[in-house]
Amino acid sequence: MASGNGTGNAEEVTASISAFLAAKHVPPTQAWMTAFISTIRLNTPIVALQKTALFRLLATDITTSTTKSAASCFATNITDPQVKERQVRGPITVQLLDVEDIGRSRWSQVEAIEAQERGETTKGREVIRVVPDDNGPDAATQNESKSSGPHKLLLQDANGLHVYAMELTSINGVGVQMAVGAKLVLKDFIVARGLILLEPRNVEMLGGKVDAWDRKWKEDRKKVLKEKAGVREGGG
Amino acid sequence: MVTKVLCVAEKPSIAKAVANHLAGGQVQTRNIQGNPYVKNYEFSYNFPTWGQCNVTMTSVLGHLLSHDFDAQYKSWRSCDPSALFEAHIETFVEDDKKAVAENIKQQARYNRVLYIWTDCDREGENIGTEIRSVASQGNPSFRQPGNTVRARFSNIERAHIINAARSPVQLDEAQSNAVSSRIELDLRIGASFTRNLTMSLRPMIQEHTGEERSQVISYGSCQFPTLGFVVERYIRVRNFVPETFWGIKVMHEKDRIKVSFNWARNHLFDRMAVVILFERCLTARTARVTKVQTKPTSKWKPLPLTTVELQKCGSRFLRLDSQRVMQVAEQLYQKGWISYPRTETDQFDRGMDLQGLVQKQTQGGPWAQFAQGLMNGGFSQPRSGRNNDKAHPPIHPVNFVVPASLSQEEQRVHEFVVRRFLACCSHDARGSKTEINLLYGFEVFSTSGLVVLERNFLDVYPYDKWTSSQDLPDFREGQVFEPTEARMYEGQTSPPGYLTEPELIALMDANGIGTDATMAEHIAKIKTRDYVQTRPRARQQRREGEEEEYEPGEAAEPDVGRGRGRGRGRARARGGRGGANGRGGGAISGVQEFIPTTLGVALVEGYENMGFETSLTKPFLRKEMELRMKAICEGRKTKAEVVHESIEQYRDVYIRTQQRLDSLRAAVRKYVFQEDG
Repeated sequence: MASGNGTGNAEEVTASISAFLAAKHVPPTQAWMTAFISTIRLNTPIVALQKTALFRLLATDITTSTTKSAASCFATNITDPQVKERQVRGPITVQLLDVEDIGRSRWSQVEAIEAQERGETTKGREVIRVVPDDNGPDAATQNESKSSGPHKLLLQDANGLHVYAMELTSINGVGVQMAVGAKLVLKDFIVARGLILLEPRNVEMLGGKVDAWDRKWKEDRKKVLKEKAGVREGGG
Repeated sequence: MVTKVLCVAEKPSIAKAVANHLAGGQVQTRNIQGNPYVKNYEFSYNFPTWGQCNVTMTSVLGHLLSHDFDAQYKSWRSCDPSALFEAHIETFVEDDKKAVAENIKQQARYNRVLYIWTDCDREGENIGTEIRSVASQGNPSFRQPGNTVRARFSNIERAHIINAARSPVQLDEAQSNAVSSRIELDLRIGASFTRNLTMSLRPMIQEHTGEERSQVISYGSCQFPTLGFVVERYIRVRNFVPETFWGIKVMHEKDRIKVSFNWARNHLFDRMAVVILFERCLTARTARVTKVQTKPTSKWKPLPLTTVELQKCGSRFLRLDSQRVMQVAEQLYQKGWISYPRTETDQFDRGMDLQGLVQKQTQGGPWAQFAQGLMNGGFSQPRSGRNNDKAHPPIHPVNFVVPASLSQEEQRVHEFVVRRFLACCSHDARGSKTEINLLYGFEVFSTSGLVVLERNFLDVYPYDKWTSSQDLPDFREGQVFEPTEARMYEGQTSPPGYLTEPELIALMDANGIGTDATMAEHIAKIKTRDYVQTRPRARQQRREGEEEEYEPGEAAEPDVGRGRGRGRGRARARGGRGGANGRGGGAISGVQEFIPTTLGVALVEGYENMGFETSLTKPFLRKEMELRMKAICEGRKTKAEVVHESIEQYRDVYIRTQQRLDSLRAAVRKYVFQEDG
């Protein structure tokens, strides 16, 4: 257990925090560390400083705030569709740029957003639109708009490379409610024709988010879904 | 000293039936002055409560009293519509009911006890208090608690009626108050909003069309949410954007049987993802059977029949719209063939003699043999649903009647009620289901086979389908094989259909709009007001995966005549007397779907665009009102409280609507005049 009272030595504190962050797979750049240190009181307990550092780092763009190495980034030809399959050991840290539910039609997702905008999901004003059927013990409610996943993610490594990934089975924490800019660590995964295939054992969710990106993503979501569904603008 | 009892039923047919049951046929019939339909039946009867009595049994014709604003508010120009929230309402007897009321008043003078025999639901309770108040004008002693009583009955079968007659109860003031508050609210809110709406829009419509006709654009707190559902679905269909999806199909031929396996992911909306997953399947080359499971399965027999269910099934299977189904059911009830058709209860009381009812159906009809089978050991206690309105049992046949003695439409409804009841008393259908799962690459595929072993209830209830699938060849867990065929396929999503009546009823029910007794009327109202039209749904629109629907054997009878209308004439809101003009009702083929008119769309869009707080076309305002009605019935709220709360809510909406009328006008211009918005 780190000692409660910091010794107040900037170099030691910097080293300690850097090591901590590197162990979490988000090794900070020197520039970022310097900026961070200037904002803290050196005699704060080290554990608290580590936590704060992690929290703040997870809210940044890792292409500028973390150090890169060949081992911690994707191979540049990872998206090559000619390669049928390759195994990657990692660990590779990525940030989330986009997430999509490809199990549901875009249009049904647009309708769900519009229902929410009309206030139909607020308490006391719910409008029930799908009435359950009473068919027996085997009744499978084939209600497509309720399905969640699988999800397709757009990920970016510290080098700035964009790669798509897909859930093979449902991964805890993955969904359209994820924050954009969240960080994930991937290891021991397969890449098929340039698409990363993920199972729970491949993914460690670090969390975090980049406020500006997340806000924009939420604002644009309906418009983007509509475009993907094929709605031509100016009519609708 | 012989006691004199005055019995009053809600309709002449009930009065006649009850009188004959009690009197054992020894009835003297007298006409009354001023109305040829109402009769006074005189007989003697020995009531346990009062001993030997001279009984006069008569009836009213639905509601006796009407309500309207005082004369000074009647003209539309006399006041601002919002004044109607507080304006005084007077209660009076309408001209066409004066003779009926006079009869009650006169007869009241000669009798010591008033015995109410109105139908046992909220409206009936309210009519009962109306009868009491009119009768009390002739005999004030009826106001005292002991002198007015009420009969509790659910059908017109002899033994049941005699039983009811011997155990009178008190009128339920709470239920009557709930109805009074609804009548008041419908009047105030309906009138004020209708005037406002019409005066805001009619001038611009008249100017545009050049017509002078006095078109009323009516508002009703139930109609609008009902219309809202129709318009919403219409817009959803119009706005729908079809999207392509991709899936993987695996087929394997074994023992000369071709078995199709379905992908566990169903289909995905990303082509690249599916191509990659498919390739991995092909790379794996073989599939492995991961599960082979055979287990018993069943198709549940239906739940006991409620009003909502009857209306839905009437639309789907009997080609009768909800209003017509209820009218026909009402006739069957009055003739004593089925129990009271307005009920929410979907569970049979444990003590009820269901076997006795089944026995009655062995006497004839196409179900006689099946009924006999039930008596010979096939009987099974019906399922219990979750609803019990404590007033009436589920709808069931009460007596045996030769089908040929009923009209065509009555036969269809009656047959449905009988078959449903017998199905309830049967066993579930039983079968055996085999499920086979494969792991192919990383992907899961499955198939299932069904063997129906015992049809049971299905033999009497053709409205449900359950058939054996093709035989499945033998697979063993762990078995590995190379599938005969694996391929990717492409498809497109398709829009939902326009709203059909059964769907609309289900939505109204799920969202708390209207009660079982009123839903059909709201639907009829939006038709007569020209807010929606109906048309048969085209056959091809049925989507993939939908089961074959039951087809009735014969074409429907054309919609002639409506019966007298008076018996069911429970004028709900001031503006409407029910009785749709038959447009689209009881059509000959195809389920009816609802298409809003341009006016209907304009109204919904106009109000929607006014904003969140003025959602007149959303269910929640009306739903809250219905919940408050329930609170009155349960004694948790008073009539005054409820009227006050609802008025305040709607007044708020009224004010906001006033401020945003432009939104309505713009919608009318866009949709009704077809000007580019």
